[in-house]
Formats: sequence, structure tokens, C-alpha cells
Amino acid sequence: MKIRIISTLFIALFFFSSAFAQDSTLIKDKDWYIPDYAKVQFAGNIGFFSLGIGYQFFNNHLYSELLYGYVPVSISKAEQIHTITIKNTFPVFTKKFNTIALSPITGFTASFETGNNSFLILPDKYPQDYYSTNAFHFTFFIGAKVHKNFTNQKIIKGVDFYFELGTVDTYLWYSIISKEVKINKIFSSAIGINLYF
Amino acid sequence: MNLLKTNKIITLIGITIIFMACDKIFEFSPYEANVKEENKNTTAKNLQLIKDIQLNSDIFSFAVVTDNHYHYDNLKTVIDDINKKDDILFVIFGGDIADQALLKEYEIFYNTMKKLDKPYLTVIGNHDYNSNGENIYKQMFGDYNYSFEFNHNKFILFDDVVWESNKNPDFDWLSTQLSDNALFKQVFVIAHIPPFTDQFDSSMEETYKTLMSDNNVQLSIHGHVHGYSFVNVYNDSVNYLTVPWLKKPTYCIINVHNKFFDIELIEL
Repeated sequence: MKIRIISTLFIALFFFSSAFAQDSTLIKDKDWYIPDYAKVQFAGNIGFFSLGIGYQFFNNHLYSELLYGYVPVSISKAEQIHTITIKNTFPVFTKKFNTIALSPITGFTASFETGNNSFLILPDKYPQDYYSTNAFHFTFFIGAKVHKNFTNQKIIKGVDFYFELGTVDTYLWYSIISKEVKINKIFSSAIGINLYF
Repeated sequence: MNLLKTNKIITLIGITIIFMACDKIFEFSPYEANVKEENKNTTAKNLQLIKDIQLNSDIFSFAVVTDNHYHYDNLKTVIDDINKKDDILFVIFGGDIADQALLKEYEIFYNTMKKLDKPYLTVIGNHDYNSNGENIYKQMFGDYNYSFEFNHNKFILFDDVVWESNKNPDFDWLSTQLSDNALFKQVFVIAHIPPFTDQFDSSMEETYKTLMSDNNVQLSIHGHVHGYSFVNVYNDSVNYLTVPWLKKPTYCIINVHNKFFDIELIEL
């Protein structure tokens, strides 16, 4: 579990530093910190809805996003769930048809639950190392996206629609180690939109 | 444009197949607690099944399986073995159904236990309280403390988790349940945490131990410590059994005779 925290931090660090590093190689007409697009996602184990900002890196081979996800009590049947997620999507290839472009995608997310349903630091009542933190989860996904550019628009320059099938690290691990855990029981869908500006 | 149409159709068919294959189309968080309607009230359903068992003998057996965490294949191996043994009439699961107490873990356990041909009952374990586990357990199984009678024997299933539940075990409830012990041939108590281990302080341990010995309890059954032991811990009339966990396919059979019992440790 400690490995999970360390790797989450590492990934976060990597994408912050790559944000700086890519500044010189990408030709952009805006400062590096201005996001390339905004995102709304439904489901996918990072929230009922997730909202956030995204950046394109490595000549559009990596789409990296910072998202806030929320699950209301009426859906969670428990406490409200607030999640902070770093999501990374890699288009496998892109095929253009007139004004639209299709891409199979794959990627992963790293999520942190802010504490309503998990703990970051083990509460005092437990002996040392009785439990490790349960606030972090990774998800892995594959899917497809459709991109369309709006050439005449000033504010919104393009849009992506995407669909994904994904699973959570814990579920995937159980599925790997157990014949009883069938793959169709651990995958679920997500859909979303990216708006480019 | 034709190619695009074909692509669209293929994509749509693909998505439809995937949708149909998925157990749940959308999942919002690992911490969700929305238990499916058909998975609810498992304890009440199984208590009814136990009530319906017709038995014309003093002698019967029940199995105790415990501490699954995430050893689903071993759980399945144990279930298959129990299904083959006709004299085992029901199964008691001793807690730690789940590891992180995620809904998904509870659901995999529930679906695996569906393969058991006999009724089963559960007590909650300390791991089952993590995240929203307490809430999920309540919906999927039912009360944390309950009891039932079978063939003039009393079974008391007791939640004795201390740290994770943020409460002391309800010894008043346990005491009330034990007060009619004279009406039964034998009394069995099942609780996840043995009184002589980490979560019990000395006053709780003393309370538990005294309740058992003062109320004619023959056997106090536990999980949590992951190993097998069958010991008269306090030099009184009470035996304490700890059943090994499912890291290996192991469980215990308790053969109940008229006024005594014996224990078999099964290692598959």
C-alpha cells in the first residue's frame, strides 16, 4: 500500500515536470499552465460526475487531466464521495474521416478520496501498521474517442466524445489471482466529453 | 462516408455486446454502498432455510469457515467440499468476509457463496467494518448480533469488533441471550475476535470469559487469528476454538451429539 502512495506521488510529479519540459517542444500560442481543454466524465469509478482540466503532451500522444469527482449520497448510499484524480489517456492511433477523427484509447487514473470513506493516516486507535491507507485507487481503461474540430468557432475549438471500459486496481488484482473473479464482473463503463479552447 | 457508417455500426454492436457482458454498466466509486436488492437480507433468508430443515436425530454437523479476505478460490474449494458432505446441515462464516470492505469484495463473496447448497450465516469481522463495510454488511446480511435455535441447541452470533466499529461489544445483549441457556442441550457462541487477543482489554476479556462460563456455553468459536487452536483457555468449562483462515483451503466441522460435540479440522 505504501507502494501505492509513492507511485501516486511519482506519477503526479512526473506530469507536473513534464508540463514544464514540454513547453519548449510544443508550439502553442498560450502559456504552459493554460489548459488545452475542459472535461466532463460520467462514471468510471472516479465519481458519479467528474469535472476538470486537461493538457496535451508529446505531440498529442498523451492527454493528462486533473479532475474532481463527486458521488452524492443518493447514489453512494453512504457518505458523499469526493475524489481527486489524475487521469492519463493515450490514443493508440488516429484515423481521420473528413472533419472527424477516431482513436482507440487506453490509459489509467490515480485517485485520492478526501476522507469521508477512507483514511490517509492510520487513526491512533490502531497499533502501528494494522492497516495501510485505503484512500488511493488506480483504474485502468480501454475505449474509443471521436474528435471534431470547429474551425470557425472562437471559444470552443473542438470536441471529443469518448467511451471507456475500465476497472479498479484491487478488482483487477483479485481477477488475476482468482478463477472465481470473472473479468465481466470487474469492468464497467464510462462516457465523457472534452471541450478544447 | 460508407466506411464511416460501417465503422459506426461495428462500434455500436461492440458497445452493445460489452454493455450486456458487464455485470454493472456504470460504477461510480469503489466506496459505493448501493447493495443490489436481490443481495439484501441474506441472514433472514438463511435463518428461514435453517428453520425449514427437518431432522429426526440428535446428531448433526455444521461447518465453520472464516477469514476469506480475498481468497475466493479457496472459499470455492471449501464450498465444494462442504456440498459433498450430507451430514453438514449449515455453515457459519466467522467474519472478515472482505479485506478493504469494498462493495465489490462483498459481492464477489456473495456470488461465491451462492454455490453453497446449504444455508449459511455470518458474523461481521473487523475488516468488514472498513470504509462503508458496516453499512454494506447491514444491507446485505442484516443484524450484527442475532441468535437462533436448532435441534434444541442455541447459536448466538455476536459482533465483538472493537476498534473498527468504534463501540464496545454489546455484552448486555449477549447476557440476555445467554440467560435462557438451561432450556438448551448446548449453547454455541460465534464471534470474530477471540477474547484473549489484541482488540479486547482486560476488563472486556473478563466480562466475556465470565459470561461464557456462567451460562453453560460449551464452545466459543472465533476467527481473526488465522490459525487453528482448540483450547480450554481459562481452565473453566468453556472451550475456545479458532478456525484457520482461507489462505489455504481449510475449515472446521463441528459434530453435535446429544450433550457434547467434537471438532474436525479439514485441510484440503
